[in-house]
Amino acid sequence: MSAGKILVVDDEAHITHVLALKLRNAGFTVRTASDGEEAFELASQDPPDVLITDLQMPYMTGLELCIKLKKKPATAQIPALMLTARGHALGESDLQSTNIRMVLSKPFSPRHVLEEVERILGRGGAAGSGDGGGAGTEKEAA
Amino acid sequence: MAMGSGIIANGVVCAAAAAGAAACAWLSLGALSAWSEGARLGVIGAGAFAGAAAALGALMSVRVGAEKRLIARLREAAGEIDPLSFPASLRSVAVAARDARRAWGAREAELAARLREAEVRANISEADRQHGEAILNTLRDAVIVTDSFNEVTLANAPAARLLGFDLDGAAHKPVDEVVRDEELRRMIEDVRRSGVVSKTKHAEHTLSPPQGGSASFDVTIAALPGAKEEVGGVVTILRDVTREKEISQMKSDFVSQASHELRTPISSINAYVEMLLDAETQDEAQRQEFYGVIKGEAERLSRMIDNMLNISRIEAGIVSVDRVEVDFAKLIRGVIETMAPQAKAKQIMLVEKIGPLIYTAESDRDMMHQVVMNLVSNAIKYTPEGGRVTVAVENDDASRSVLVSVSDTGLGIPPDALPRLFEKFFRIENYKRVAKGTGLGLNLVKHIVETVHRGQIGVTSQVGMGSRFWFTVPFEFQGG
Repeated sequence: MSAGKILVVDDEAHITHVLALKLRNAGFTVRTASDGEEAFELASQDPPDVLITDLQMPYMTGLELCIKLKKKPATAQIPALMLTARGHALGESDLQSTNIRMVLSKPFSPRHVLEEVERILGRGGAAGSGDGGGAGTEKEAA
Repeated sequence: MAMGSGIIANGVVCAAAAAGAAACAWLSLGALSAWSEGARLGVIGAGAFAGAAAALGALMSVRVGAEKRLIARLREAAGEIDPLSFPASLRSVAVAARDARRAWGAREAELAARLREAEVRANISEADRQHGEAILNTLRDAVIVTDSFNEVTLANAPAARLLGFDLDGAAHKPVDEVVRDEELRRMIEDVRRSGVVSKTKHAEHTLSPPQGGSASFDVTIAALPGAKEEVGGVVTILRDVTREKEISQMKSDFVSQASHELRTPISSINAYVEMLLDAETQDEAQRQEFYGVIKGEAERLSRMIDNMLNISRIEAGIVSVDRVEVDFAKLIRGVIETMAPQAKAKQIMLVEKIGPLIYTAESDRDMMHQVVMNLVSNAIKYTPEGGRVTVAVENDDASRSVLVSVSDTGLGIPPDALPRLFEKFFRIENYKRVAKGTGLGLNLVKHIVETVHRGQIGVTSQVGMGSRFWFTVPFEFQGG
């Protein structure tokens, strides 16, 4: 049985590939998209339990994707985990108009991403939590 | 001083009359006493003069000459008085006259010395003023000096150009009529009204010069001391810092962009290594795949660093250039041979178009190889399978250059992206997934062609039809 449905969005195929493998190994059902538009289509068809998205992407940025998803009733509740190489590019108002629960800066640790996904889904205290996972600066979303 | 001079002049009129008639000796004595008073005031005047000499300049030297002549005439008129030659009734007056004459004789010498000193000072002061003005005009900074009445007393040519006023007509005009920029006027006024002589204000201010555009200035406004302790005037200095600001912005943009771009391959390397460490891979084949990703991303990182270093070396002018006669026909054939496997993998026809002539230019062989490689590699990357990439060379006799072009039947470049194509880290968003790149290749190519070889580079393109990149390298290198 699947631990949950995750949608991973990044224009770097290596990143979606590695995250998908990490999450599948942990029992999740994972779909991937390479830009915001594609992700919006997938999320609208079958809303995931958690969205993991990059910030800078062609066509539609991760932030635009999250804002658009929050405006649509069917997808308004999807919690999001943002991965970005520019950790401080998001302001409070950006976070308030989205469901972004956590911002992790690149380079990130797949281990850490898995922990955060489990925490968002209310399965906190997963094994290995607290080791920091080698991720860079992070920002707890309000 | 004006008052002293007036009295001296008056005395001279009477003294001249006295010389004409002995009967009018008393008149002469009256004149002497008047002169004596005049001389005293004159000395005071000379003292004041020394202080005000700077302002009086050329006018003063005319006056000094006139006064010298007056003294000589006075001396002649008064002469050496012998009281015994006067009737007894006038003897006491004659004695007083003689004594007065002797007394002012000493003063005359003192006055003459002071006048000489004042004259010298006036000349020095005038020379200093001209010197100061010349220095002021050699400055690139704009300078305006205003007095306690807020009128312009001094300004230089850069100030006139920047603020758009007539330099010759600005003197003694209210600063409000000369400086149109309200904010700048307010700053000058603030310092003048502060009443604090040591007050210096620094601010950054944006101005729109009459020539158009807008520029950033570092503004220094300092209060100048007056005769007492009050603020006697204000000096305003405007330094154009537009270029410095642009460079600083470019540097910080570069650092921020470079760190962002470097993080992308580091992210992948970090994530894939961690997966291997955590034994998240299923089999040897997947492990091999991961090793491949790590190696590829490490190479990408290394290319980015090489490109960045090469670009900054060229920008800093510290790149070593080995200029030799490069045979471009041979160079192009070499690149085509190297790139053939990549082209073949995408079933792209890679063709050369080389005429029967000799195509040589004085240039750095390795750098030129990199230029052609980058252009051909880009053409293959952004041309769909089954396309065609043509590398051509010809001699452009008009510009006395070798002209190399790389044409493809690829995706083409959107018109809005064309002007930014050679910028650092610029990548066409929608093409990012078509191929990986550092966003630095074309910038480096442009630097090599234009900065190092004084050639030209350009591109023409049509979306869906393909692109043609071309560059020229002068037959003979011109310049240092």
